Amino acid sequence: MKRKMFALMIACVLTMTVAFAVTGYADGRTVAMICDSSISDGGWGMACYNAMIDAAAKCGWQTMYSDSIAQSAYYDTIVSYCDLGVNMIYAPGNQYTDAILQAAAEYPEIAFALLNGGEDTPAKAVNGNVSSLLPDAKQIGWIAGALAGLMTKTGTIAFIGGMELDTTKGKYAGYGEAADFVAKENGKSVKLLDPVYSGDFSASDKGLEFAKAMMDQGADVFFGDASAVDSGARQAIDAANEAAGEIKIYDIAQPADLLGQNACIIGSQVTDNSALIELSMKAVEAGTFGGETLYGTLQNGVLSAGKLNADTVPEDVQTAYAGYIQQMTDGTFMGGGAKAE
Amino acid sequence: MDIANLILAAIRISSPLIFLSLAELYSQRAGLVNIGIEGIAAIGSLVGFLVSVTTGSPTLGVLAGALAGILVNMIFAFATITLCAEQIVYGMAINIFAPALAAFIYRVYFGSGSTLVQGDLMATLENMLGIKSDHFLVNLSLDQTPMVYFAYILVIVTGIYFARTRSGLNFKAVGEYPKAAATLGINVNKTRYLACVICGALAGIGGAYLTTCYSRTYVDGNVAGRGFIALAAVIFGRWNAWGVLAACLFFGFCDALQIRLQLVSNAIPYQFFQMIPYAATILVLAVIGVKKAGPKACGQPYRKEER
Repeated sequence: MKRKMFALMIACVLTMTVAFAVTGYADGRTVAMICDSSISDGGWGMACYNAMIDAAAKCGWQTMYSDSIAQSAYYDTIVSYCDLGVNMIYAPGNQYTDAILQAAAEYPEIAFALLNGGEDTPAKAVNGNVSSLLPDAKQIGWIAGALAGLMTKTGTIAFIGGMELDTTKGKYAGYGEAADFVAKENGKSVKLLDPVYSGDFSASDKGLEFAKAMMDQGADVFFGDASAVDSGARQAIDAANEAAGEIKIYDIAQPADLLGQNACIIGSQVTDNSALIELSMKAVEAGTFGGETLYGTLQNGVLSAGKLNADTVPEDVQTAYAGYIQQMTDGTFMGGGAKAE
Repeated sequence: MDIANLILAAIRISSPLIFLSLAELYSQRAGLVNIGIEGIAAIGSLVGFLVSVTTGSPTLGVLAGALAGILVNMIFAFATITLCAEQIVYGMAINIFAPALAAFIYRVYFGSGSTLVQGDLMATLENMLGIKSDHFLVNLSLDQTPMVYFAYILVIVTGIYFARTRSGLNFKAVGEYPKAAATLGINVNKTRYLACVICGALAGIGGAYLTTCYSRTYVDGNVAGRGFIALAAVIFGRWNAWGVLAACLFFGFCDALQIRLQLVSNAIPYQFFQMIPYAATILVLAVIGVKKAGPKACGQPYRKEER
């Protein structure tokens, strides 16, 4: 009897949970976002979620999302939304490519927008219903690298990655390239530490340990592409600055303007993902979605440099930085020889 | 590589593991294999964070985490002790249910907004005493939160309790041969419920440690497999408090080492370094865990009327 009562109680709880979840779904054009990091991670997940919300508000779409999902659940989560009849799946990350392509083959009527997808990914979709939204990873790295090159005093800068994705490697390369160029132009030299990877995007404790280890090696400017892991790193940097009694170790945030979130943040690289999502939504409405790569660059305004912290970034550095950003936009940065990706 | 900082990192990383491993030790010593530690820690982590953020007191957060851990573990206790259900199945059920419940509560409490919520961390003894020093021994002994000292005190208390006290021996008897224990007048079910209370509290504290003493933010999945490592640590430590401590420190050291090795070698894929703590654990388990030394009645339900 006890077992039956226990089983009945569990069944009731599950039924109520499912009923609660189902009532959340409504009619209308809908975009669903899947994300392996949290939408409140103070970094990537947060910015990508806000971009979807902004674009949906402009286009009059409804939104749904699943965050903190495991790699093994990418496909199942996407398919669950497809079964609910959403119009577009929005996956912010290169790591979802395989799951997106698999689901896109099974749901030809649904649009799949892959942020940071590969240039060749849309062509791989058998139904032509996949588009890549591709902010220029190297330019993202440049925006952060130029500031790092200007601000470093120890000459050692660091980068923390979540997973070893092509876009992450592109950002790392651009970061080092720009920091080295800018530092040399200003009579300094820069050493970029080898990249470290946490293996996921939610281990904020790993970010903390990485940052401590990198500070031990002399790093005084950090940039990252690791979502909540970056939050952990900023915690360690803030603690080190607090112990020193002054802010002398800095962090550059991305992909939203996070100035003020932590004392160590001196500036941000900003990606206006909402513009790319909005373009995708309009294409869905017009029936023209799929098979293309929508690029995000400094030139088309999707990428930009966020506000600088006036308390920690000297005025002359602010001026010099603005000059470098202008050069990047004009295509004359590093003599115009370096190609963005 | 700075050895002093490596050791400090190992201490930091191993501290939550000590709580979780002791939780599993108390459970297994009473004959209950609780593989749901990961889930209980997830709830402890969330509740600890919520209470810490709401009240501004990380200490209250830890206490609330312990309470939440006990409550969740009572599901396991009722199902496995009173209903004599399969322990592994219910442990796994808790691992699936509790993290999902934690994520759900977080969304309900903070809404579906994307703001990063950061709480205060428990102060270290160094800060409490106002001592500033870069000396390794000062950092090692004072740059820790009171919870770290509590973890090590718990190890000592547990070691003495199981080896030197009548109550501890009775506790162990329940895990070794419950029927014999019952004939000696020991209330087996009561002892097992007590074990579940201790296990739930320690696992909850281990989870709460992550958000009140280690990281200022709560992120889904922040327990990151520590509950399963605790299971291995108990076997690695031969079901002994001192052994468990050694296992946790060993794992913490390997994890701290892999972080630093990533920094010094770009030629080797980072996945290789991330594998080190787990590969080392498997290696040690393979060497040490050949001969079973755990409680004999571990995993077996106790039915009073059964002959």
